[in-house]
Amino acid sequence: MTVSGTSVVEITDLGKQYPGADDPALSGVSLTVDRGEVVVLLGLSGSGKSTLLRHIDGLELPTSGSVRALDQDVPSLRGRELRTLRGRIGFIFQQFEIVGPLTVLENVLTGALSRIRGPRVGVWSYSRELRLKALAHLDRVGLLERAYQRADTLSGGQQQRVAIARALMQDPEILLADEPVASLDPESSGQVMALIREIAAERGLTVVCSLHQVDLALGWGDRIVGLRAGKVVLDVSTDGLSRDQVMEIYGRVATSTSELQVIEQELSEVRDAMLSEELQKQTRDEDAR
Amino acid sequence: MTLLDERALAERLAGVTRPAPKAATVVSVVTLLALLVLGIWSFTGLGFSLTSIIDSLDNIPQFVARTVPFAWPGWHWDRDSATLVSDGWAPVAEFIGAIFMTLGIVIAGTFLAFLVSIPIAYGAARNTTPNPTVMVICRALGIIARAIPAVAFASIFVFLFALGPLPGVLAFFFHSIGMISKMMADAIEQIDEGPRLAIRSTGGSKAQEFWSGVVPQALPAWIAVGLHRADINLRETVILGYVGVAGLGLELSNSIHALNYRRAFPLAITIIVLCILFEIVSSMVRSRLLGVRPTGKGIGDTLVRAAARRSPRFAASIEKPDVTTDRAAAIQAAMNRPWTGERLASRIAIWVAVVVVVGSFVAAQARWTDLFTFWGNLPILLDKDHLWPPTFGIYTNEQVFQAILVTFQVAFAATLMSAILSIIVGSFAARNVAPNRYVRNGFRGLLLVIRGVPELILAILFVIVTGLGAQAGTLALAIGGVGLLGKLIADSLEEVPNGPERAITAVGGTRTQRYFASTLPMSIPAFVGHLLYLLEQNVRAATLLGIVGGGGIGLYLYDSLRVSKYDQVTAFLLLIIVLVLIIEGIAVFIRKALK
Repeated sequence: MTVSGTSVVEITDLGKQYPGADDPALSGVSLTVDRGEVVVLLGLSGSGKSTLLRHIDGLELPTSGSVRALDQDVPSLRGRELRTLRGRIGFIFQQFEIVGPLTVLENVLTGALSRIRGPRVGVWSYSRELRLKALAHLDRVGLLERAYQRADTLSGGQQQRVAIARALMQDPEILLADEPVASLDPESSGQVMALIREIAAERGLTVVCSLHQVDLALGWGDRIVGLRAGKVVLDVSTDGLSRDQVMEIYGRVATSTSELQVIEQELSEVRDAMLSEELQKQTRDEDAR
Repeated sequence: MTLLDERALAERLAGVTRPAPKAATVVSVVTLLALLVLGIWSFTGLGFSLTSIIDSLDNIPQFVARTVPFAWPGWHWDRDSATLVSDGWAPVAEFIGAIFMTLGIVIAGTFLAFLVSIPIAYGAARNTTPNPTVMVICRALGIIARAIPAVAFASIFVFLFALGPLPGVLAFFFHSIGMISKMMADAIEQIDEGPRLAIRSTGGSKAQEFWSGVVPQALPAWIAVGLHRADINLRETVILGYVGVAGLGLELSNSIHALNYRRAFPLAITIIVLCILFEIVSSMVRSRLLGVRPTGKGIGDTLVRAAARRSPRFAASIEKPDVTTDRAAAIQAAMNRPWTGERLASRIAIWVAVVVVVGSFVAAQARWTDLFTFWGNLPILLDKDHLWPPTFGIYTNEQVFQAILVTFQVAFAATLMSAILSIIVGSFAARNVAPNRYVRNGFRGLLLVIRGVPELILAILFVIVTGLGAQAGTLALAIGGVGLLGKLIADSLEEVPNGPERAITAVGGTRTQRYFASTLPMSIPAFVGHLLYLLEQNVRAATLLGIVGGGGIGLYLYDSLRVSKYDQVTAFLLLIIVLVLIIEGIAVFIRKALK
C-alpha cells in the first residue's frame, strides 16, 4: 500500500446531479481525510451525506470533480480493481442491509468475498481460516452465541453489530458509516456508536460517519464536516471546541437550534402528509382493484 | 312538502351534474357485459339445452353396467362368468411402477426446468439483468415456452424420441420454463436491494452478489414456484398420455380407446387421488416456506427433543456451551455448528428433497441416452410432408373456422357457468359472509376437492358418461373453474375492508343486507380480474379438450397426430399458440385499462 502523505480520502470539487432532479445532490464538495481521523458528516436528511459517502466507495459516479480513496482515482476503476478497493473500505448502512435468510456467521463471511474468487453458498464453502476469523469478529462485537441463527431473528442493534463484524471481515483501512444508528433505539445507538469508536481506536481505522444529531456528533468525532443542500458549510476539529463554537456549528447547519427544530418539525410534517397521502392512494388503488 | 318546493328541488337536482364514470369502471362494466353476452351466445351456439343433457342421462344405466364393478389392476372382467378374475400380483407391480413413473416424469421435468430457469430469471429480472438486450431475450424465451402447450412439445418429442417417458420429461421441461422463469424473475425483482448493495460495497463480484445477496432472499419463493408448477404438471400428465407419453395417462388413454371402462375408472380415480395428495403436500411445504416460522411444536423440534432423550451426548451437544472466559476456546468451540432443531429439520428437508429428485430421475425410467442419439431423426422431421410446411391437409378452412368457433364457445360458456356457480359457492366459503364457520369450512373443503380434480379427467369422464362432445367439455371446464374462481372470489370477499361492513351492522342491517350493500360491491373490481384469468385458462384448456373428445380444435390436432400427419400437427399447433396469444393479449390490454 502506497499512500501519498497521510491523506486516505481526497475529494476535490465533487458535483453530483441526478437525472430528473432540480437541484444537484452535491456541488463543489472538497474534503480531505487523513489516516486515522474520525470524521463526522453532519447535516439534515437530504443534505448529501449519503451521496458523498457512496462516492468514496465507488457506489455512485460523480458528475464532476474527482474522488480519490487510498491513492486511487475511484470513478475510473472498473471490475476487479474497483472490487479490490471496495474490499479495503468497510461500509455500514443505516438499514444494516444484512441478508436475512442467511445465518449470522455467513453474513459476516460475505465480508471476505472481495478476496476470494467465485460465488459462495453456505458457511462450509468458506475456508476454515475465514470461518475462524469471522467467529473472532463476531466475538468482538459480542454475538458469538448467535453465530448460527438466522440473521433476521436478531434485533436491530444486533443486526447492526453483525454488519460491523462483516465490515471488519474486510480488514478495512477506511470505515464509512451512513447514519449507522438512525434506525436504532437510544440504548442500542449508544452501544453501536461506542463499538465503532473502540474498533477504530484498536485498529487505527479512518472513519467517516454521517449523522444528523449534533449532540451525538460533538461527543464522538475528532472533526465535524457540516453539509447543507449538497455544499460543505463547516469543517472544524472538535478538539477543545468552545461553547461559542458549538453554537456556531448549530448556526451553520441550520441558523439556530430553534430553526433546526422548526426544520425538523416541518420535515416530519411533510413526511406525515406524504405518508397519509400514500396511504389514501393505496386504499384507493385497493378499492379500484 | 308543497308542489312548489318539489319543483324547486327538481330544478336544483337538474342542475347537479353527474361526474363522468371512471375509465376503469366503464372497462369493468363493459367486460362483464361482454362476457355475459358472449357466454349466452356460446351457450346457444353449442346447442346446450336441458333436454339434450337430460337425454344424455339415459346413457347412465347402460354406462354403469359397463363400468361397475371396477377392475382394479390385478383383476380383469370375465365376460362369460360376469365376475372379476384375479391376475396375480404382476399387474399390481406394473401399476405401482406406472404411478412412480408418472411422478418421476413430472418431478424430473419440473426440476430440470427449475435449474434452467435460474439463469433465465437472472437475465429477465429488471434488477439483475446485465443489459436490456439480454432481458428482452430472456423474457421472450419465457413467453414462447408458456405459449406452447406441454402436449404440443410432447407430440413433437414423441416423434423424435419414440414413445416412452422421455418425451414427457422434456415436454414438461420446456413448457415449465415459461412459468417458472417468469415467477422466479418476479421473486428476484421483489427482493430487498439493500443486502445486495452491501455485498457490492464489500467488493463482491456480480456472481457473488447474486449468490450471497439475491438467492438467499428469493430461494423460498423459487421453491414454492417449482412445487406449484409440479402440481400443474401432474394434472397435465393425463393429456400427455393421449399423445403417447408413458405412465398413468397412457394406461388411461389405452383403456378408454379399448372401451374398457372398468379399467379406466380405477385409473382415473388413482390420478385424481394422486393429484389431491400432491396438492396437499406441496401446499403444506409452500405455506411453510413462505413465511410461517417454526413454532417449536413442529416436527423438527419434536425430533430433536426425542433424539436428546435417547442420547446424552447429543443432548450435551445442543446444550449451550459453558460461558468460558477463554475467548480462543469459545471461538474454537463455535467452529462446530450445534445440532439445533432448526438445523436438524433443514438437514432432513434437504436430504428428503435430494432423495425425491434423484429418485424421480430413476423412477421416470427414461432412456436418457436417446438425448444424444436423436439427431438422426431430425432430417426426417424437416423433410417434406413432415413438420414443414404446415397445412390443414384434409380439413377445409370452413371446418377449421368452425372448430375455432367451438373452442371459443366452450371457453366462454364454461366461464359464464363457473362465474354464476362461483359467486354462490365462493360467498359461502368467505368468513365474513358464511353464517358460521362450519358452512365456511365445508364450502372451502368443497372448493379444495374440486381444485384437486384435474379438469381433463373430468372432461374424459363426462365425455364417456354423457356421450356428448363439446357440451361435456364445457361442463368439465365449468366445474373445474368453480374450484379456481370460487377460491379467488372467497379470498377477495375476505380481503374486503371490514369497516363498511361494521357500519352496515351498526345501522341495523341484516347479514344479507350487509353482503349486498358492502361486501359484494367492494369486491367487484377483483372479481373482474379473476374472471379474465379464468377465461384465459379456459381458452388454453379448450384448445386441448378435443384431444380427449371434448370438442374444438384439439380434435383435429389429435387426429393428425394419430395418422402421423406432422405437417397438419404443426399447422394446428401454430393455430393453438396464436389463439392463446390472442386471448392473453386481450386480457393484458383489459387489465391495463382496469388499472
